Amino acid sequence: MKKYMYILKTQIIKTMTYEFNVYGNIIMQTIIMITSAYFWKALYRKQETVGGVDADSMLTYIIISSLLSVLLITNVEKRIEQSVIKGTVATDMMRPINIFGGYFAEDIGSIIALFFQNMVPIFIIGSLFIKVPKMADISALPLFIISVVESFLINWLIAALFGMIAFTAINIDALIQVKKHLLRLLSGSIIPIWFFPEKVANVLEALPFVYIYQLPLSIYIGKGDRAEQLRGMGIQFVWLVILAALFLYVQKRATRKVMVQGG
Amino acid sequence: MKKGFKELCHYMDVTGQCIKMAFMTIIEYPSSIAGWLISNPLQFIMGFAIIKFVVESFGEINGWNYGQLAFLYGISVISHALSMIFFVQGWFMGYYVIYGDFDQYLTRPLGVLYQFFFTNINIFGITDLIPGIIVFIYGCAKCQLAITPLFLIQVIIMLVGATLIRGGIYILIGSTSFHTRSAVDFGQYTQEIMDKTTMYPISMYPESMQFILTYLIPVGWVSFYPVSALLGVENTVLNGLAVPFVTLAVGLVVMILAGAYFTSGLKKYESAGN
Repeated sequence: MKKYMYILKTQIIKTMTYEFNVYGNIIMQTIIMITSAYFWKALYRKQETVGGVDADSMLTYIIISSLLSVLLITNVEKRIEQSVIKGTVATDMMRPINIFGGYFAEDIGSIIALFFQNMVPIFIIGSLFIKVPKMADISALPLFIISVVESFLINWLIAALFGMIAFTAINIDALIQVKKHLLRLLSGSIIPIWFFPEKVANVLEALPFVYIYQLPLSIYIGKGDRAEQLRGMGIQFVWLVILAALFLYVQKRATRKVMVQGG
Repeated sequence: MKKGFKELCHYMDVTGQCIKMAFMTIIEYPSSIAGWLISNPLQFIMGFAIIKFVVESFGEINGWNYGQLAFLYGISVISHALSMIFFVQGWFMGYYVIYGDFDQYLTRPLGVLYQFFFTNINIFGITDLIPGIIVFIYGCAKCQLAITPLFLIQVIIMLVGATLIRGGIYILIGSTSFHTRSAVDFGQYTQEIMDKTTMYPISMYPESMQFILTYLIPVGWVSFYPVSALLGVENTVLNGLAVPFVTLAVGLVVMILAGAYFTSGLKKYESAGN
């Protein structure tokens, strides 16, 4: 455990190295958040509520979605790909730690750094320029926190599973992009899936993506009743278990036949 | 005059070779081809589906109907694809700066900026182009546009200008790495912001933001102004048939500024390892 904590600490320091990146990221993410907010404001100009959600909740949704997106940054897939391409995967595997444990610690480290660097500033800017994202029902806070933790794990497992394709395919830039787009559009991070036609929405509810963004966000803005939210969290937990099992299985098989390029 | 012509021929020749090499390198990783072939069209098909769903839920977006939005989206995606083919390297300029990869370009007797973009030409951008063209044609059909030679010329001029604007912005952002000496990978964010400001009418944003997008970071000229002039949707700062040509002019200005900024940055470049 101490070893992993050390990796985590190093990663925090690494992430904080470049000041310009920090400001750049904050500015870029703020612009994205504000443009999204105006997008929804323009759409709601003529209607009060659409799909049972009013404009005010939608703005909260956008702000919290921006904050979550900081939390849901993963580097593991890129990390695996790079270490396979450069051949450093061999030395990574020789270390007396589980390589995925190491990658996980790195991602956690980045997120801790990003929490202070990006999330806090974005929260303040969002509150000042758009609105204060108040939670609809404060009693749902424990549910929200649990669902965020689970969504983080689901997100990380999906990323790691994609990353492991690099062990056989080597170059997975394109696949990382596929994953990114699927996640962005099907998870409700930009457009909640309740705006989608019913059939499409039903299919998406069976996939793990909506449980990464939309479920915690729905709980936050108080969409649906408690029973509906609990049912969602049940499915989220099932997905977490399925992905974790899959991860353990694939990890064993994939690391057995690692190809080292350039040694 | 003759010397200039000879040099131009030389550049054309090199470009041809670069494209040939680019085709060869893309088949290096088969999984990669398959990935791009799925990934890029998927992104735009889904993006377009979202517009459709939003329009179905809300009706119009700021006075733009479905067909007009499809047209706007098509133009945005095509110009994005063209900028991906020629200028995507701008996103990764930071890595070239910190790893000292500009050394190889500085030693060759060709323009550095030219080499930087054309030796890394990104053929995969074609996978963006195809969905863009499909949506564009669909938009034309939905808007019941009469395809005249003038219209075609306007569209082409507009696309050239839009590509130059995008490329110029990538170069400007990438060149900041010379001064900050860090590898900034703003590609994803840049694209997300570009998507938000070129795929939807920017008239839905507050006036201060419209001002920025018109005069400071001229993204509005990529698709919004020329398309609204062509389709006659909105009264904007400028109307009429000449608007696509303004886009081209804006594109050239942005490109010249970006080139100057890049050149000034390159003077500060000191390779890696010092």
